[in-house]
Amino acid sequence: MKTIGLISANYTSTEFGELLDNRSLASLPYGGRYRLIDFALSNMSNSGITTVGIIAPYNSGSLVDHVGIGSPWSLGRKSGGLFIMPGSAYGLQSVGSRFLLRDIIKCRKFFERDDADYVIMTNSTDVWNIDFRPLISQHEKSQSPITMVYKKVPKGEDYQGFFLDLDEEGKVRNINIEGYAWSDYFADCFIVDREYMIDFMSWYETLEYMDMLQIIRDNMDTMDIDSYEFKGYLGKIKNPVDFIKVNQDMTDYDIRNEVFCNDERPIYTKAQDEAPVFHYKDADVRNSVISAGCRIEGRVENSIIFRSVNIGKDAVVKNSVIMMHAEIGDGAVLNNVITDKYVTITDGVKIYGTKDAPVVLGKDKKI
Amino acid sequence: MKKKQCIAMLLAGGQGSRLGKLTTNIAKPAVSFGGKYRIIDFGLSNCLSSGIDTVGILVQYKPLILNRYVGTGESWDMAVQDGGVHILPPYAGETGGEWYEGTADAIYHNIDFIDMYEPENVLILSGDHIYKMDYNLMLTEHIDKNADLTVSVIEVPWDEASRFGIMSTDDEGRIVKFSEKPKKPDSNLASMGIYIFKWKVLRKALLDDHEDAKSSHDFGKDVIPKMLADKKKLFVYRFNGYWRDVGTVKSYYDSQMDLMDDMEHINVFTKDQKVYSNSNFYPPQFIGPKANISDSLICNGCTVYGTVTHSILGSGAVVGDGTVIEDSIVLPNATIGRNCKIKNAIINEGVVTEDNAEIGEADGDVIVFGRAKLSI
Repeated sequence: MKTIGLISANYTSTEFGELLDNRSLASLPYGGRYRLIDFALSNMSNSGITTVGIIAPYNSGSLVDHVGIGSPWSLGRKSGGLFIMPGSAYGLQSVGSRFLLRDIIKCRKFFERDDADYVIMTNSTDVWNIDFRPLISQHEKSQSPITMVYKKVPKGEDYQGFFLDLDEEGKVRNINIEGYAWSDYFADCFIVDREYMIDFMSWYETLEYMDMLQIIRDNMDTMDIDSYEFKGYLGKIKNPVDFIKVNQDMTDYDIRNEVFCNDERPIYTKAQDEAPVFHYKDADVRNSVISAGCRIEGRVENSIIFRSVNIGKDAVVKNSVIMMHAEIGDGAVLNNVITDKYVTITDGVKIYGTKDAPVVLGKDKKI
Repeated sequence: MKKKQCIAMLLAGGQGSRLGKLTTNIAKPAVSFGGKYRIIDFGLSNCLSSGIDTVGILVQYKPLILNRYVGTGESWDMAVQDGGVHILPPYAGETGGEWYEGTADAIYHNIDFIDMYEPENVLILSGDHIYKMDYNLMLTEHIDKNADLTVSVIEVPWDEASRFGIMSTDDEGRIVKFSEKPKKPDSNLASMGIYIFKWKVLRKALLDDHEDAKSSHDFGKDVIPKMLADKKKLFVYRFNGYWRDVGTVKSYYDSQMDLMDDMEHINVFTKDQKVYSNSNFYPPQFIGPKANISDSLICNGCTVYGTVTHSILGSGAVVGDGTVIEDSIVLPNATIGRNCKIKNAIINEGVVTEDNAEIGEADGDVIVFGRAKLSI
């Protein structure tokens, strides 16, 4: 059965300060060489989906620059391929809501022109590696027009969003906004019959200012919705604290193997062709992720270093995320710091954030 | 089709048998180099930075990995409408098929291909040299001098000159004598195996050479000496940068160490004349909590738990806990177990070593370990 994909990227967060001044949440750099939307695009591509739409945010510059015509995800195609569709710009971007009906209605043609049976709709900002094919085959067997993907909230995690009440057969009976450990958290991803989705848009057109999930919740008694459990890693980034933590998750052996070193389903991104990393004689790198093009003379611990970063002699970088093209001077010290692109830290400067309040340095800053 | 000022023909068909186990199942130009590159990247990237967008790649020996690696040429910005890369293997005609019998013979069999582009000049390249060069500078000299053939040369130490094809020139740079590996060289200008021919002249020379029963159909041995004898206008172009023919295991090892130790020579970090490659789906490298890396080049996709000193780790290589690697090159996707000792060795692509393995000797020659298990 043919399935197409729609990635919702017209939402943002106010928690990131300067990091989202000039870019969308979907194009936030992550993990040394990725942007958050790479996960949604790679999951589509690795599941054999060759027609993918993106609902773009108003500040789509960095997103469009990154995804281009979709070649890294094999979406630069003649049949199908990548469709970038502007989201609605009334309130600029929604905060929290992933599936604003107004945005989806603006893509009506995307649904109408294709002859696919199903559409997978997903968020653009979670770090995960999911194979959609088992979801598609489960949905195929189900009588329900919608199957929602959920994950049991791991103990100690504080997920925000929608939680599902499931009955014994796995049907969704209710949608809540309160969750607790082991709740069934809606992973901002579902599969829907394409024709049902077109009908849905007509039925609820007057509620276009609402999120599709709210509409479903309010009309639960008329809905037949199935569920599908995702058991893998789900990295959710709500704020700079999560940002450092979910980046550091890349140093976890199991997560690295599941999400990033998965031979069957690699995470693709725009290639930049940087040279290998040079570790100088006195370099001391521990438990860290380093991207191509870096030259490292100093110490790096529990940190994520993006492309083409130079770290000087006796410099110390700990518990930090350093985005591309940073220059960290000799003897500089950074702990719990996030630096955006092209940041320069001059020799000897010391910057300390804390675990709960990391320091964020915006693009091109020189300190 | 648009006419081209100059197209390139890249010779990539030789076996490179002196590289031993490195080329048992892979053509020499596709052998890994400098961690994330393959040897052919240098020639193709030079073409890109010189504005040459049409390249014929002549393949013959075990070309499957090479063909796949080159693909559409997109990695070198050569997926263009009027030109691009073309893989050119030997093919059959009305009277059967023939293998390429020599460098000149390979080009002879593709005369029709070159004619399609009606180029003024044809640049002949080897797929197994490590260097960065702007072919435009050479082409400009070639055109200014109205040369029939321009041979790129590099000064070599006098005591090594007898290992090369040596060009003797007059004051204008016109070639007066060409001697292949002369016992007593009277010049130290060595041919780099890079030629720009006027296509009309080369076309005729190839047709003549094909008719010559005594010819071995080689540019250096047959075609160029014949052109010299025929009083054609042959000039040298002096190249001053870093250039290595990685024909032997030792030169292959040494030039990779050069790339790491002395980035002035061939700077892969620089933004101008960048070296491009097709190997980009690896995550960034992960360096473990007890790892110890110094003086080394490490690629994307590597996972390092052990100690790595003065070595190169290729894309996707894994180094286990307690392992010590010194003065070695680990080719892409090799997995080195725990508590291994590796010294002065080249670990072949995709090879998996057992725990506690000891490979290479402190004072011995560099060895190549294992048979490549390839995937791209």
